[in-house]
Amino acid sequence: MFHPKKPSTMNSHDRPMCVQGDSGLVLTTDPKPRLRWTVELHERFVDAVTQLGGPDKATPKTIMRVMGVKGLTLYHLKSHLQKFRLGKQPHKEFSDHSIKDASALELQRSTASSSGMTGRTMNEMQMEVQRRLHEQLEVQRHLQLRIEAQGKYMQTILEKACQTLAGENMASGSYKGIGNQGVHDISAMKDFGPALNFPSLQDLNLYGSEQLELQQNMERSSLDGLMPTNGNMCLGKKRPSPYGGSGKSPVIWSDDLRLHELGTAPPCLGPQDDPFKGDHEIQIAALSIDRGNDIDCVSDMYETKPILTGDAMGEKRFDNSAKLERPSPRRAPLSTDRMNPVTNTSAMPQGRNSPFGIRSERPVTIVFGWRRCLRNYLYWFQGKF
Amino acid sequence: MAMVVNGIIADLNLSCYAATTTTTTTFFTTTTNTPTISIDGDRGCNWNDWSPVVDWHAISGGHDDDFQNLVESMMDDNTGLHHPYRFNREGYNSVLSPEPMIVDDKRNDTEDCKGLRLVHLLMAAAEALTGVNKSRDLARVILFRLKELVSPSPNDGTNMERLAAYFTEALQGLLEGASNGVHGKHMFSSGPHHRDDHHQTDILAAFQLLQDMAPYVKFGHFTANQAILEAVAHDRRVHIVDYDIMEGIQWASLMQALVSRKDGALAPHLRITAISRGGPNRRSIGSVQETGRRLVAFAASIGQSFSFHQCKLNFDETFRPSTVKLIKGEALVINCMLNLPHFNYRAPDSVASFLSGSKTLNPRLVTLVEEEMGPMGDGGFMSRFMNYLHHYSAVYDSLQAGFPMQNHACALVERVFLGPRISRSLAQIYRGRGGDNEGCSWGQLLGATGFHQVNISFANHCQAKLLLGLFNDGYRVEELANNKLVLGWKSRRLLSASIWTLPEPDI
Repeated sequence: MFHPKKPSTMNSHDRPMCVQGDSGLVLTTDPKPRLRWTVELHERFVDAVTQLGGPDKATPKTIMRVMGVKGLTLYHLKSHLQKFRLGKQPHKEFSDHSIKDASALELQRSTASSSGMTGRTMNEMQMEVQRRLHEQLEVQRHLQLRIEAQGKYMQTILEKACQTLAGENMASGSYKGIGNQGVHDISAMKDFGPALNFPSLQDLNLYGSEQLELQQNMERSSLDGLMPTNGNMCLGKKRPSPYGGSGKSPVIWSDDLRLHELGTAPPCLGPQDDPFKGDHEIQIAALSIDRGNDIDCVSDMYETKPILTGDAMGEKRFDNSAKLERPSPRRAPLSTDRMNPVTNTSAMPQGRNSPFGIRSERPVTIVFGWRRCLRNYLYWFQGKF
Repeated sequence: MAMVVNGIIADLNLSCYAATTTTTTTFFTTTTNTPTISIDGDRGCNWNDWSPVVDWHAISGGHDDDFQNLVESMMDDNTGLHHPYRFNREGYNSVLSPEPMIVDDKRNDTEDCKGLRLVHLLMAAAEALTGVNKSRDLARVILFRLKELVSPSPNDGTNMERLAAYFTEALQGLLEGASNGVHGKHMFSSGPHHRDDHHQTDILAAFQLLQDMAPYVKFGHFTANQAILEAVAHDRRVHIVDYDIMEGIQWASLMQALVSRKDGALAPHLRITAISRGGPNRRSIGSVQETGRRLVAFAASIGQSFSFHQCKLNFDETFRPSTVKLIKGEALVINCMLNLPHFNYRAPDSVASFLSGSKTLNPRLVTLVEEEMGPMGDGGFMSRFMNYLHHYSAVYDSLQAGFPMQNHACALVERVFLGPRISRSLAQIYRGRGGDNEGCSWGQLLGATGFHQVNISFANHCQAKLLLGLFNDGYRVEELANNKLVLGWKSRRLLSASIWTLPEPDI
């Protein structure tokens, strides 16, 4: 028997044709009959979803029941609901497994949600998405070049500053206490200067606190006359200093001097750096290849260390779950020839998120952190006055 | 405030005062023996002068219970655990949530409790300085207590402690300034934070750190540059007047972008006029001329035709439009960066004169980057104080997110850039002038002067998002009001970049 209205018995044509079943559903006639979501059907769908309390509350089963459309299967509803849910969130951030996919997805969602699922032909939508995608890739490329340009420029500043500093050192002689080390640092910087992109302070990560202490011991005595800032930083309380109190909180000065030295003389590979030397060189090489992403590289290096203090912040991040897998893939699109620095392991599942909001498995106590209270007070004051 | 004082006295081991913890509105039990006490750093505060009664009702504005609970919580070491304020909102996130925060181990408990105590003490001090029941003596005591608890040193401070150190210092300055009747511009000329005391290399190092650890600098620069590029796409000559050029790093990337424009058009001739200050005590890293030389060299290296000019402000640092040399046929852009590493918050009059004066130059585009403080309103000192506290705590957090283990790096940036800014902001709101031009932002000033908004393009927004992707997750960017991109840290808005233009003149 030939029932022209039963889609399953229709022969496949070259062009997908749509037939109307007796339930009112429109199905295509290609080998795999696919449901066509017409405007009316979609409206009924949206109604049902709203009745059920929104796309997050509604389930395919309940929707099916509410809609009461014959021939509509759970499968249809599942996929349509998912698309609908995604379409409802056009503000989702860039999730960067590959920026291409993510942005294509996002663009599709946003164009879909803004234009309605069936309001345009697939072609139009696709063109729109393509166009935006191209634009995005352009922006990405330009961003990288611009960051590089800034880095190069920053380089010239640092080199100039270094030379000035070297000149000062020679002239003033106040580095006598440090003596060779200071000069050595400067010349070491010059050697490495051109190789580094964001020179300087990324090397801080190599100078753990032990390193700084080591330097401080040597430099403490010669610093007092050098730094113009006075030791008023203590604000009255004398903290026990491991370097003995000279009454002026030398710890702070030493740190600062060290830092600015680092700023102007980045690798400062003196003899005491031996334990770090291997890592350092590799890092330099990595930095010189991978120009655009040094910030990334550095942050990730930090996050390979377990960081407890970050959890103390106590901020719970609601959109955490989606972002657990970020570190390496995120940077991939910006630099295809990236060489990962040695210490950067992507084994950390939490990636960037680790200090902020990922809960550890230990037993918890419930506390309102000071940040939340601060914000509440702020609202209180703004509301009252 | 009775509870606070009693508590402090207990800490100072004054045996003649009983430390009571019951809620009471009396300051002291009246006693006939009032010994003279010398306390370090107290500067001769005479306990006898304390008022015996606190008007609780007046302080709390009618919400006695709330305030008493608040003050009690300052005293209690287990403050954080049983806090009476059970709001259902996150410290930063604006998303409503019924869940309280969860912290991991005991150490973090203490840290949060301590942080909270510092917040309370700061609030109390601010209140004592400016509230209904002003008491400078009370403020002095509270600040003294605070100083014991905080330190700007990176070795032993958490974020909150370092932040509180600078706020304490700022409040101390207000206290002293008020007593001396000093209202000059350089309030902290003797303090360690006066900008000119900073060694040049300190500033350079701090600037580099700031660039690396947080997107503030790049966000402002790139957003402005992108808007400029779009606006001058078809021009042969471009002239930019930059209010605070510093080392000129913004223009390095603009030049690069001009040189590599896709449509193969020859790069326009770029002319930059840098505003320089006339006074003797200016400069960040080398002089404006130095910056100019550097820019010229850089432009030469990439093949961008470029010329550099300087233009001095008046002696009182106001801007005279006539000092800018204009050439016919050039596209004029006004660039005004007021955000974090810039020190120009010291001169709001100057900024105001620059922004309003630039209208007479008839620019094609005005790019403005400023700190986003949120609606200031007429909240009075306390609400603005809280606003600043919240704002800067977000900044501190974001900086630390950039260099999680390197407290020294953060501390340097804080010392060089943030500390002075905090002091200055508090001084401004204390003296009754809004941190940004009496309660409205610079953007609002531009709007009022007659500038129109320019929409942020898709490319610009996209670039901002990509840029933030290079930094910590906590940053986010949103588009406000058509012409503004706002950079925020975890629901606190921090920085805004806005684009303006003049309407086409009627023919």
